[in-house]
Amino acid sequence: MSTREITASPLLHQPLPTDEDLVRSHDRSRVHHARRHRRHWHLMWLLVGPGILAMLGENDGPSMIAYASDGAQYGLGFFVPFIPILFAMAYVCQEMCMRVGAVTHRGYGELVLQRYGRVWGWFGAGDLTLTNLVTLVAEFVAIRVGLAYFHLGSGVAVALGLALVVFTLSGGRYWRWERIVLGLALFNGLFLLAAILVKPHIGAVASSFAFTPFPGGSFNTLLLLLASTIGATVTPWMIFFQQSASADKGMTPSDVRHGRYDTAVGAVLAAVFGIGALVAGAALLAHDGSGIQGFAGAGFPEALKHVAGAGAGTVFALGLVEAGAVAILTISASTAYAAGECVGVSHSFNSSPRGAAVFYAANVGVALLAAAVILIPGAPLLSIALNANVLATVLLPVSLVLMVMLANDRGLMGPWVNRRSTNAIGITVIAFVGLCGAAYGIDSFLQAIHLIGS
Amino acid sequence: MSAETPLTDAAHASSAIPERDLQAQERHEDELIMHLERDQFVAETSRPVARAPLSARARAGLWALRVFVVLVGLMVIYTFVQQLH
Repeated sequence: MSTREITASPLLHQPLPTDEDLVRSHDRSRVHHARRHRRHWHLMWLLVGPGILAMLGENDGPSMIAYASDGAQYGLGFFVPFIPILFAMAYVCQEMCMRVGAVTHRGYGELVLQRYGRVWGWFGAGDLTLTNLVTLVAEFVAIRVGLAYFHLGSGVAVALGLALVVFTLSGGRYWRWERIVLGLALFNGLFLLAAILVKPHIGAVASSFAFTPFPGGSFNTLLLLLASTIGATVTPWMIFFQQSASADKGMTPSDVRHGRYDTAVGAVLAAVFGIGALVAGAALLAHDGSGIQGFAGAGFPEALKHVAGAGAGTVFALGLVEAGAVAILTISASTAYAAGECVGVSHSFNSSPRGAAVFYAANVGVALLAAAVILIPGAPLLSIALNANVLATVLLPVSLVLMVMLANDRGLMGPWVNRRSTNAIGITVIAFVGLCGAAYGIDSFLQAIHLIGS
Repeated sequence: MSAETPLTDAAHASSAIPERDLQAQERHEDELIMHLERDQFVAETSRPVARAPLSARARAGLWALRVFVVLVGLMVIYTFVQQLH
């Protein structure tokens, strides 16, 4: 917080601004200018960000490898139509986050804490920190897998990830952070390029939209597939991130329409790039692709190189580095927002590190902690990476239920509360996610204690 | 807020230009700040919102959700630890 005092000004009838307010007002003045002069594309350019970042941030290392594994093991049939459905679900959830952030100007963590009590606030923050830490480890693993293709080791992966976190934080402005990460996130399109380079049969891709039945395999494998694929599209960090980032960006109710465009564009891009990874992975189906599961070393880029040429392997490896790097930035940011909001101190990229010490420390600290894990010799990285999405799916219902409650809170949202149709879809999504997560959790547990066979 | 200190004439003269700059900057800041809605100010968002009144049914539902998530979460963590062995 700045040295200016926060008191009511008798002239303006509004509080005296802090430095954070001044930085945000600079961004808002550009939005007002674009709106007043009816510069629609410029306005769109100024207001996009949180939605695209949440969606493309979730196309992270584990997710892209999960999609490619699905393609390599089962082909295109079930997953090509399933991925767009999941991103449509993600759109419904993320639109609520954006709307609540724009209307209340507050992050998810602080609203839950203040509106529903400390227990829920800290429960949500704890749930988020656990899943974020596990996911961040998986992101560093993804960068390592991508770099291994170029014969670079863990040290380079850690240095790259941490350098990016520190570099993006060094501007003291939300706008600067957002634009750098947006620029990086667009390289998620490398997975689409990889799909083109493997020269898929266009007819096969088109006919896969006919939605074939569930892929074969044991019940537990199916549940794992569903849980991990859901965990690859909707996660607790996205909810925290988009609401807090929308508030930090300074969005207001008049920007909700553009916020919806931003979220929809993010969902479409993420679905297209996710299908790209799936199609690239499916090129391995006829070449014993089932042997390449999860994070089995640098298997994917190498295998693609043998099947579709060095170009496809290189592009896929670079895509993994990008997916991991962008997710490290967005997931660290969501942890930092949650930490600042729950502790009740300044939590904005528009504040200086001195003014928002907890925010900046959490941002770097959580990335450092995850980086330290991947440097531990013999750490179970493969298991951590594979379970990251599943854990996120299991813990997701809490975040979703509280999000729907916030979006229906007339005291907070006024006329911007959810419509009945949004509630119906939201509740269906929660039930679906809860059932898949619970079914996998219970089935795996019963197998682990040998009550049922696999 | 820092207390104002009286300035000497020389100090007034030497600070005339910076003072003009300062006034111009403050005017610019005042114009900029008009673009923020009142409830967007840090001073406003720092004020906590009131606790939501929850019905007994909603409270029971939230407790059931808490128990459900803790139980299933523990199952997943147990399975994960078992896999490590």
